[in-house]
Amino acid sequence: MNAAAVAVEDLRAALEVVVGQVHVRRPDPRRGEPAGTAWLVQPGSASEVAEIVALAARAGATIIPVGSGARAPAREAAAAARPRLYVDSRRMCHVLHLDETSLVVHVQAGLTALALERILVPRGITLGDFPPSTLGSTIGGLLAVRTPGKTSTRHGTIDDAVLGLSAVLADGRTVHTRVAPRRASGPDLARALLGSEGRLGFITAAVLRIHRRAEARFLAAFVLPSLDDALAAVRLALREEAAPAALRVFDGADARAQLGEGICGEEQAALVVATAGPTDLAACDRDLMASAATAMGGTALDDAVAERWWRRRTGQERAPQLPAPALQVTAPPGREAAIARAVRAAVEKLEARSRVHVSRFDADGAVEFFTFVEPGGEAIAGERTGAVRGAAAQAAEKAGAVLLGSSAPGLEPYEAELKRLLDPHGVFDPEVD
Amino acid sequence: MPPVALDPDRLRRELVPIVGERRLSMRASDLASYGRDMWPRMLIGLAAGRLPSELPHAVVWPESDREVAAVVRAARALGAPIIPYGGGSGVCGGTVPVLGGITIDLKRMAEIRSVDRDSLVCDVEAGINGERFERELNRRGTTLGHFPSSIYCSTVGGWLACRAAGQMSTKYGKIEDRVAGLTVVTGRGDIVHTDGPARALRGPDWTQLVVGSEGTLGVITSARLRVSPVPALRILRGFELENVAHGVEAIRRVMQRGLRPAVVRLYDEVDTFINHVPLFGKRRTGGGASEESQDEREPLARAPAPEAGSGALPEIPPREDRGAPAEGMLGRALSLLSPGAAPARRLAGRLRAGAVNAVLSRPRLVNGLAGPLAEKVSRRGCRLIIGIEGSRIRTEVEARLVMGELERAGASDLGEEPGRHWLEHRYDVSYKMSPVFRSGLFVDTMEVAATWERLMDLYRSVRQAIAEHAVVMAHLSHAYPEGCSIYFTFFAPLVDAERTYDTIWQAGMAAASRVGGTISHHHGVGLLKGPAMQGEHREAMAILRALKATFDPDGIMNPGKLGLPAMLGRRS
Amino acid sequence: MSDVFSAAGVARQLDNCTYCPKLCRFACPVAEASGHEPYTTQAKMDRLNQLRRGTVGWSAETTEPLYACTGCRQCTTECLHGNEPGLVLMAGRAAATARGASHPALVGYPERFRNREQRLAELARENLPPERFDDSAPVGFWPGCDAIDKGLDDVAAALDLFERLGAGDVRMVAAGQTCGGYPLLAAGLLDMFRWHASRVATALRPYGTVVINCSACLYTLRVQYRAEGVPLSSEILSLAEFLARLRFTAADRRARKSVYYHDPCYLARYSGILDEPRQVLSRVADVVELSGSRTETECCGGAGLLPKTMPEVADSMARRRLREVASRGGGTVVTSCATCAFMLRRNAPSGVTVLDLPAAVAGELGDPAGGRSGPG
Repeated sequence: MNAAAVAVEDLRAALEVVVGQVHVRRPDPRRGEPAGTAWLVQPGSASEVAEIVALAARAGATIIPVGSGARAPAREAAAAARPRLYVDSRRMCHVLHLDETSLVVHVQAGLTALALERILVPRGITLGDFPPSTLGSTIGGLLAVRTPGKTSTRHGTIDDAVLGLSAVLADGRTVHTRVAPRRASGPDLARALLGSEGRLGFITAAVLRIHRRAEARFLAAFVLPSLDDALAAVRLALREEAAPAALRVFDGADARAQLGEGICGEEQAALVVATAGPTDLAACDRDLMASAATAMGGTALDDAVAERWWRRRTGQERAPQLPAPALQVTAPPGREAAIARAVRAAVEKLEARSRVHVSRFDADGAVEFFTFVEPGGEAIAGERTGAVRGAAAQAAEKAGAVLLGSSAPGLEPYEAELKRLLDPHGVFDPEVD
Repeated sequence: MPPVALDPDRLRRELVPIVGERRLSMRASDLASYGRDMWPRMLIGLAAGRLPSELPHAVVWPESDREVAAVVRAARALGAPIIPYGGGSGVCGGTVPVLGGITIDLKRMAEIRSVDRDSLVCDVEAGINGERFERELNRRGTTLGHFPSSIYCSTVGGWLACRAAGQMSTKYGKIEDRVAGLTVVTGRGDIVHTDGPARALRGPDWTQLVVGSEGTLGVITSARLRVSPVPALRILRGFELENVAHGVEAIRRVMQRGLRPAVVRLYDEVDTFINHVPLFGKRRTGGGASEESQDEREPLARAPAPEAGSGALPEIPPREDRGAPAEGMLGRALSLLSPGAAPARRLAGRLRAGAVNAVLSRPRLVNGLAGPLAEKVSRRGCRLIIGIEGSRIRTEVEARLVMGELERAGASDLGEEPGRHWLEHRYDVSYKMSPVFRSGLFVDTMEVAATWERLMDLYRSVRQAIAEHAVVMAHLSHAYPEGCSIYFTFFAPLVDAERTYDTIWQAGMAAASRVGGTISHHHGVGLLKGPAMQGEHREAMAILRALKATFDPDGIMNPGKLGLPAMLGRRS
Repeated sequence: MSDVFSAAGVARQLDNCTYCPKLCRFACPVAEASGHEPYTTQAKMDRLNQLRRGTVGWSAETTEPLYACTGCRQCTTECLHGNEPGLVLMAGRAAATARGASHPALVGYPERFRNREQRLAELARENLPPERFDDSAPVGFWPGCDAIDKGLDDVAAALDLFERLGAGDVRMVAAGQTCGGYPLLAAGLLDMFRWHASRVATALRPYGTVVINCSACLYTLRVQYRAEGVPLSSEILSLAEFLARLRFTAADRRARKSVYYHDPCYLARYSGILDEPRQVLSRVADVVELSGSRTETECCGGAGLLPKTMPEVADSMARRRLREVASRGGGTVVTSCATCAFMLRRNAPSGVTVLDLPAAVAGELGDPAGGRSGPG
C-alpha cells in the first residue's frame, strides 16, 4: 500500500473509534453516493462531531455536512486531492429539551422538521406555518441556507425562530450562542453561521422558538382581474397589519396548473390565503384579506378551491405532479408584477411560456417562483432549459429582482477573510455550487 | 491606560485635506466634550470633581461616507484609534477613547434621504437625532415605532451600534428588527453596503453582525430602516396584579396566545410603590419651577422676569457655591421619582440628612421594608401598563383579546388613566438623574433578559445580588412569546461609590449569566460589561474575534469595547 | 417665584445640567445646525459651571461655547428642571468680558456699537421723510437697529401702512439711538448696557407709546430695563400688537393668498406674542402654520450676536428653518421682526419669498388708489 492509502486507513480507524465501526462506511455509488476517497460518517452527538472535525483538521481532510442529502457534491471524488468526510447528522435527531413554559425547544441538528412536528403536534405545539416541502429537511440543513422572504407573515422564517445555536468550528471547538429572546451583547454571532452553508461551522444543535397550535384557521380564495391587482390587494391587507399563516398569488397560467381548470382566466390572477390564531384575530385577518381583494376588483372563489390548495400544501392530498419552479427570485415591494412581465416577455422571445406564483411576502418584498414550459404545455428539455432560465434570470434582474444565491456585493473579501480566520485549513469545504 | 502617541502636526496634516480646517478640532476645550457618555460610573467621578481624563487627540465632523472612509484610512496609516460618536447617551462608556485617537462625530451626517410611504422603507444618515427623525417621519404619515427613553438625545447610528430597544419593541421590534440594510465604513476603510434593496441570500448576515458591534467593526454612516404607518388607533390601560409572579404569568399568556401589544410594563412592588402611590404630577411647564404659571394657556411663551432693580441677567455664583442641595435626601429621592408628589416631599423634609443616609447605607433594610410596606400601606401589588396600537380594525380586536386574557389571569382593570399618564411622562425618568446625583446618591440601571422558564430565577438572583448594596426596584418590559426583559434601577450613596458600583455590576452580571439570562437586552456592553462578555459568549468569542480581525485588521476601531482588548496592532 | 436669577438658582441650574443626558439637545438649533457636541445646551452650561468653579481657566478658547447660543429658549420647552440656559449663558458672557476673555469677533465691540448707532441714526434721517420725525408724539415708531440697517424699505412701508390705516399720526422717534441695547447684553457688556439704557430712557420719555419691530429689544425694553433700574414711562408695543389694534380688512374681491408665518423666537417665547401677528395677517391672507410654530418655533439664527461670532451656523439655522417651505414647493413666509426678516431673506432658497408683517399686509391690501380696502 502507498503512503496515501495508509493515511486513509488510519483515518478510518480513527473515525471508527469516535463513532463506532457500524457508523463509518465508504459511500456507495450504486446508491447514488459519491465515489472516491471519502467516508460517510454518522455521528450520534455533538461531541462526536467535534472529534471528527478535529480529526479532519489533523488529517487534512475536508468535511461536507449531509442532512437529508438534498445537495450533491459538484466534483468527482477521484479528482479531489484531499480525503472527504461526508458527515451525516441524521443520527443526531433528538429533542434535547422541550420547554413548554417558554415555548422553546432545543434540538439536535439532524432532526428533520417533520420529525420535530410529530413530537410537538400531540402536545398542541408546532414549529410554525412552514410549508411541507421544507419539512423533510433537517433543522441543520434548513439553518445552513437562507431562504428569502417570510414563509409566513405570522411567524417569519426558520431563521427568525432561532434563539440559540451550537456549532463546531474548524478547530474542533464547540461554540454555543447565548439563548435569550433578544440581546445587546455585541453582534448576533449566530448570524455568522446561519446561512453560511456549513462553510464556517458545523451546526450541531439549535434552540428554536415554537408556537401553540392556532385556535382557529380560516381559508379563502379570490380571483382578481390581474396580477397587479392581486399583488396590490396583498400589500393593502398587509398594510392593515393582516398576519396570515400562508399567502400565495398565482398568475392565470399557474392558477390553472396548481388550482385546477376554470378557476381563473389567462390574464387574471388568483389569491389564496390561510389565516390562523385566536379566533377573532384570525377571522379579522381573513376579513381584511377579503376587503382588500374586493377593493382591487376581486371576487371570492368557492371554498373548495382554498380547501384543496390547503390540503395539497399540508400533504393531506396528493398534488398534481408538476415540474419544480426553475427560477426563484426575490422581488422588492411594488416590483413583483413588473418583474413577472419582464420574465414573461423574455421567455416568449424564445418561444416558451412562463407562469409564476408569488409568496413569502414580507416588508422587504416577496419571492416569485417561475415555471417554464413549451407553448403546448410540455416540459422544456435539454439545453433549452438553460437558455430559457438564463434569459429569464437576466430579464428579472434587469427589472429589479435579486437572484437566489446572491451575496452582498462588496463583502466577498470579508467573507473570504472570515472563512480564512475561522477555517484556515479549509476543513469545511462543501464543494457546492 | 495611556493614550497612543500621535504627532499632532502629522494628525492635522492628514486630516485637514479630508474635512477641512473648520471640521477638525484639536483644541482641548472641544475635545473635553467627547471624553464620556452617560455612563453613571463617570458621573460618580464627576460628582467627586474628577473630569473625564481619556480624551481623543482630535475630533472630526465628516459630511459624507467618502470623508469617513478617508479618515479611517488615515487613521490606519497613523495608528490612531477611531471612536464613532452620535449622541453620547450610552450608559456603558462606549464612546470613551481609552487610548485616545480620532473621534468621528456623525452629527453633520443627519439627513433623511428618502421615505417611501408605499414600500414603508426609509433611508437615513446615522447622525440624525432620534426625536427629530421620528417627528419628520410622523409628518410623512409614518413612524419608526422606536421609542427609547433616550430618543431626545440619541442618534440612529447609536441605536444600531448598540442593538437598542424602544418602549414599544413588543410590537415594533428592537432596532435590529427594523433594519433592512446598512452602509458601513469598515475598519479597513472600505465603504460597504450590507443588504438592500433585498437581503443577500448567501453568506453571513452582515447587517446583523454589524448591528450591535458598538463601533468595533466600523462606522455606520447610514441605514435603510423599515417604517410603519402612523397607528390609526392607540389604546392604553393600567392593570393591577397581586405580585410579580402573577404579572409575569399574565404577560406570558398574552404573548403566547399570539397577541402583540405595543407596550407591556410590569412594575414590581417597590417600583409600583415609589412611582405610583403618590398623586400623578403635572408635566413641568416652562418659566421656572413655579406653581403660579404666568400664562395658563401657553406657559412656555413667557420668559421669567427678574425683580425690578435686581439686574437683567442671572447672577453667576461664586466658585465655592455648590448650589442648593436637594432638601431632605430621602424625600428628594422619593419625590423626584414621582414629580409633584408633594406629600412625600413635605414628610421627608423633616428627616435629617444624616439619619437618612444611614438608612440608605443599609439597602437590605430598605428593600425589605419597601416590599412588605408597599403591600401593606398601599395594597397596590404590581402595576401593569399595557398598550395596543396599529391599524384600526385589527387593533380593536387585538385589544379586546389582550384585556380578556389579562383579566382571566387575575389582573384588575385600573382604567385608561395610568396608561395615559405613562405615555405623557415616559421620557421624564432621564431628567431625574441630575437631582439624584445632586442629592448625594448615584443611580444606575441593569437590564437583562431570559426565557420565561428562567425569568423568576433571573429576577430573584439579580435582585438579590444588587439588594446587598443598593436600594433596588425593577420593572419588566420588552416581552416576547418566549421570554422577557427585566430592568433594575438601583440607588446608593455617593460614598466609596466606585467600589460599590463595581461590586454591584460584577455580582449582577455573574448572577444573570449563572441563571442563563443575557447580560444586556438593549443598553449594550461598552466598557462596563466587557468583563462579562467571556461569560456571556464563552467559546463563541472566537467568532467575535474573527469578525474583529476581518473588519479591523489594524485594531483601530473603538479599542477596549465589547470585551475586546484595548490595544492596537494586527491580530491573527 | 421663579428662582433662575439668584446665584443659588444659577448654581442649581448649572449643576442640573452637569448630570443630565442632554435631553433638550434636539431643541437647540445651534447644536442641530452645527452638529458639534460642545454646542449642545448641556455642554455650554457645563462649561460655564467649570469656568465659575475654576476647574477651567477663562480664555477666549474656553468661553467660546457661551457664544454658541441665540437665547431662543427652545431648550426650555424640553427642560423639566426649569433651567434658563439662554439667560444664564448671557450672564456667563458678562463674566467672560469682565475677565477679558470674550469672543474674538467682539473685540472693540463697544466702539463698533457706538459708531453703528451714530451711522444708523443718520441713515434714518437721510432716507425717511423728515416730516415723519418728531421729538415727541403720542405714538412713536422706533423700529430697531436692524430695521434701519437692513430693512429701510420695510420701515417706509410701515409708515405708509400707518397712514392708510388711519394711524397717520405715528411719528418716527427722533433720537440719537436706534437700538434698545440687546446686542450689548449679548456681547456681555453690562456696564455699557446700563449707560446706553439710561440714554434711551431719556430719549423715549416724550412718547406715550413706543412701537418697536425688534423682537429681542421688546423684551429688553419691557423687562430688562426695569431690572437694571431704568424704568421706562412709555408703553412699549411690538409692531404686531400695534397693528392688531388698528381696524382694517382686505377687499373682498381679492383672492386670498396662503402664506406661512414664522414666529420670531423672542416674540413667541419671551413676550408671549403669538396671536396678534396671526390676527393681523389673517385679515388679509390665509395663515398656514409651519411645523415648529408658536412656542415651538425655530430660531432664524439672528439673535445672540451669532451672525457675528458664528456666521455659518447662523445662516445654516435660517436655511434649516426654510427647508420645510422649499420642500412643500415654495411660498411666502411672513414674520414680525426685522432681524428674522433679514436672516430668512438672506438665506431663502429659490421659490421662497420672505416678507416682514407691514409689507405683507400692505401688499395684500392692494392698490390704495383702486381698491375699496382700508380702515373699515
